[in-house]
Amino acid sequence: MNLSRPDRTARLDALAASYVLGTLSWRARSRLAFIARTDTAVAQTLRAWEQRLLPFAESAPPITPSPQVWRRIALRLGLDAVRRSERGAWWARMAFWRGFAVASFVAAVGLGLALMKIAPQQATQPIVVVLAGQNAQPALVATLSRDSRTMVVKTVGGAAVPPDKSLELWMLPDGGAPRSLGVLPATGVARITLPALPDVALANVPALAVSLEAAGGSTTGAPQGPVLYTGKVEKFY
Amino acid sequence: MAALLARVAMGDQAAFGEFYELTSSHLYGVAVRILKDASAAEEILQEAYVNVWHHAGSYEVAKSQPMTWLTSIVRNRCLDQLRRREVDTVTLTSDDDDAPEFDLPSDAMTPAEMLIAGAEARSVRECVETLEAGPKQAIALAFYQGLSHSELAAHLHEPLGTVKSWVRRGLERIKNCLERAGMGR
Repeated sequence: MNLSRPDRTARLDALAASYVLGTLSWRARSRLAFIARTDTAVAQTLRAWEQRLLPFAESAPPITPSPQVWRRIALRLGLDAVRRSERGAWWARMAFWRGFAVASFVAAVGLGLALMKIAPQQATQPIVVVLAGQNAQPALVATLSRDSRTMVVKTVGGAAVPPDKSLELWMLPDGGAPRSLGVLPATGVARITLPALPDVALANVPALAVSLEAAGGSTTGAPQGPVLYTGKVEKFY
Repeated sequence: MAALLARVAMGDQAAFGEFYELTSSHLYGVAVRILKDASAAEEILQEAYVNVWHHAGSYEVAKSQPMTWLTSIVRNRCLDQLRRREVDTVTLTSDDDDAPEFDLPSDAMTPAEMLIAGAEARSVRECVETLEAGPKQAIALAFYQGLSHSELAAHLHEPLGTVKSWVRRGLERIKNCLERAGMGR
């Protein structure tokens, strides 16, 4: 990306247009975004294209995301009413909300009781990763508690591992290369020690993966064989 | 909506909930069409709203519409991830490419129709409608579905150079037309 003098304006305009449209390569995108942070002319050109093109996005039919999305947002931000999106909006609109108060109180008690039942289990193992293959059948389940570096990985299904191969477990950091957590036994239960407590070790790790490697695991520090199973790191706290 | 954002900036949780209700399905539609991956789109949505909660104060009414601001946050994250994935395919083995494609709920509108509807909503239908079919489709597919130049070429069965110049000239025409209509500087 050469933004040198003569036809700078025209080139910048074309670059900004493809940035906003979305066709720029990752490298060109990152560079332009980086330059825009300090160069106001670049920032303005980008913004002008956003004004031109982004309103077109509003004409695409909306698709409702799963209610989980709001739950996770509320949980992460520690908002006091996690179910606000369902209840809060009603609350505001209902002139006769008092009648509903009784019903929601009953519901809240029910929910509280239900939570109390699951709570003890969640408190000890609040991080769960279900690793599944493309058929979505769970192959391995990893659990760990927030205050321990030991991850317990249990085989619950999946294809048999050939004798000359090993399964290797990987962390998939957001925006980084996979990092090995070690080789897993073909069946049974494995105990894997994380490099740090989960809040640190898994802070930027949204998912784990299992690859099929030559016996003993990858020799390069990166997965060499196919990735068989992946799973999202679900934190229940 | 700008007023809602102002309340969000002051930490008003009810306003944030309302804001989410008003905007999330729109943004999710944008994200999931680009990424074609429901869980990746959900994650980006979460990140975006967490960001909104923390940075609603940095939104400047004078500079853009709230929806434009939000759309830019979400689209940029999606596109960064999508384009990065293309670079990263060497990091994870090719099996990643075989990951089950997310089935979009079939849209009743084609991308080109969405583009026209968008123009109509801004009373500049002619800015899009007068484009030739090729450029119109290329721009619509890139914009709504995140297709890259080479994906456009493959999808439309045209040489890469043709597709690139369609996109460039098409955008140029949209820009000029919007400016004539008094939109965009």
